Amino acid sequence: MSKKDIEAALARGVDILDKFLPLKSWLVFPVLYSACVWAVRRVFDYRERILAWQVWLDPEFVRTKPDGFILDFFASNEALRRAYADEVSRGDLRTLRAAFPALYTVVGLEDAFLKALFKPELDAADYRTIVVEFAARTARARDEIRPAADDPEFWKALFFVAAEAASLGLHLLKDEEVQDMIVGLLKGPASLGPSIPPEA
Amino acid sequence: MNARRSRAAALLLAVALSAACLTHLGRAKRYYAEGQDRARAFGTVSAVASWKKALDEATQACRRRPSAQSFTVKGLAEANLGRWAEAEASFLQAFAFGFREGESWASDSALTGLAASFEDRGLEAAALRIYALIADRSDFRPALMLAAERRTNLVLAQASGLAAAEKARSLAALTKSLDRLIDRDFACGLYHYLRAQVDGHTGDLKRAYEEAVMARELGLPSAKIGRDNDNQLVYCYIRLLDSLAPSEREALAAAQARWAAKWGWLDDRTPAWKKE
Repeated sequence: MSKKDIEAALARGVDILDKFLPLKSWLVFPVLYSACVWAVRRVFDYRERILAWQVWLDPEFVRTKPDGFILDFFASNEALRRAYADEVSRGDLRTLRAAFPALYTVVGLEDAFLKALFKPELDAADYRTIVVEFAARTARARDEIRPAADDPEFWKALFFVAAEAASLGLHLLKDEEVQDMIVGLLKGPASLGPSIPPEA
Repeated sequence: MNARRSRAAALLLAVALSAACLTHLGRAKRYYAEGQDRARAFGTVSAVASWKKALDEATQACRRRPSAQSFTVKGLAEANLGRWAEAEASFLQAFAFGFREGESWASDSALTGLAASFEDRGLEAAALRIYALIADRSDFRPALMLAAERRTNLVLAQASGLAAAEKARSLAALTKSLDRLIDRDFACGLYHYLRAQVDGHTGDLKRAYEEAVMARELGLPSAKIGRDNDNQLVYCYIRLLDSLAPSEREALAAAQARWAAKWGWLDDRTPAWKKE
């Protein structure tokens, strides 16, 4: 594996995605990063188990957690404990419970797309902004990605970029290294704009 | 000669139209299943794109050859896209057409989908009644799983606002219904996961830990649920270590170390998917 080869593959990916997401470059980072994560997990193998005849809704995870679980979630993560020190020490479950749904999905379940979508806040340990912005930013990301998502060529291009990076040994890098690599590329000449929504 | 030609043309047209309709429904199902598959693996954005394509195809199928199945698929896609009012209308249309013999999977899917759309529009009592009906009567595993999960979520959310005695009664009834599902289908990891979640609320952490281990071993329907189950398992394990007598503590730590090695965890409390 060569880090440079991976970086070159990702740079090509940034160029390609810029064509599909013009002026939406704040979405390039989460899309490309999560595609890399899926590719490493081989999710892009179009599996035979997709059934054409049986369709149904899928169950979700249980969202209502006991007080102890919520307290433990905030107390056992060092950065979260610092950010919510007052609430944790007072046992202010009303505030913690309100912040839990957004933070648990991003920090607790480590959703790759959401982690990338909130990278500036995660880097700055600004968890309260994640809570405030969560619903609006995720909804906006879904809306703005829709025109590109309707184009089959977009998914094909994304697949090839992520698969190439995965075949070069992407899985041997740490998550942060991959994220920094993509952020670095977006700040370079390939970028057409900021990597987060301008008003965020 | 002309009459023969136009009869043949009409026949060809009918065959072509019929094949096109079947193709729309078939494609709708395929796109929908693709979306489910991507959503299970955290591919939210690509899942949304697939559901949208499924909805477009199902809408065409409903227009050209309406059937209970086409409206069911349309409703399921709408439900996943969060268009609950439209989903409800589609499921009701599906029931208006009536399901044929051998379509009980579609009927149960539509009924569960209808309950989900009721729930998301604030009609929780009606949704709970349907989930209970599905859980008691359906033989279609995916509908049962969804009904069990939605019912558990609803009951837990409602119970959090109740007085202690009432909460205990509500959770005991929920536990009983989950146990019935486990008896019917012990190998379904989701039921054990749900039981572990309820045990977490009743404070039976030992049982919650065991059920979470069982759920992990039997497999769970999505990466997201799997991760939530891992978090629950670790939470129970750590709390139990703090509360058990030394001999029991050692036995638990040894058992957890064996499981962690089997699952490829970084240590006894760090699942492999957690970042370093």
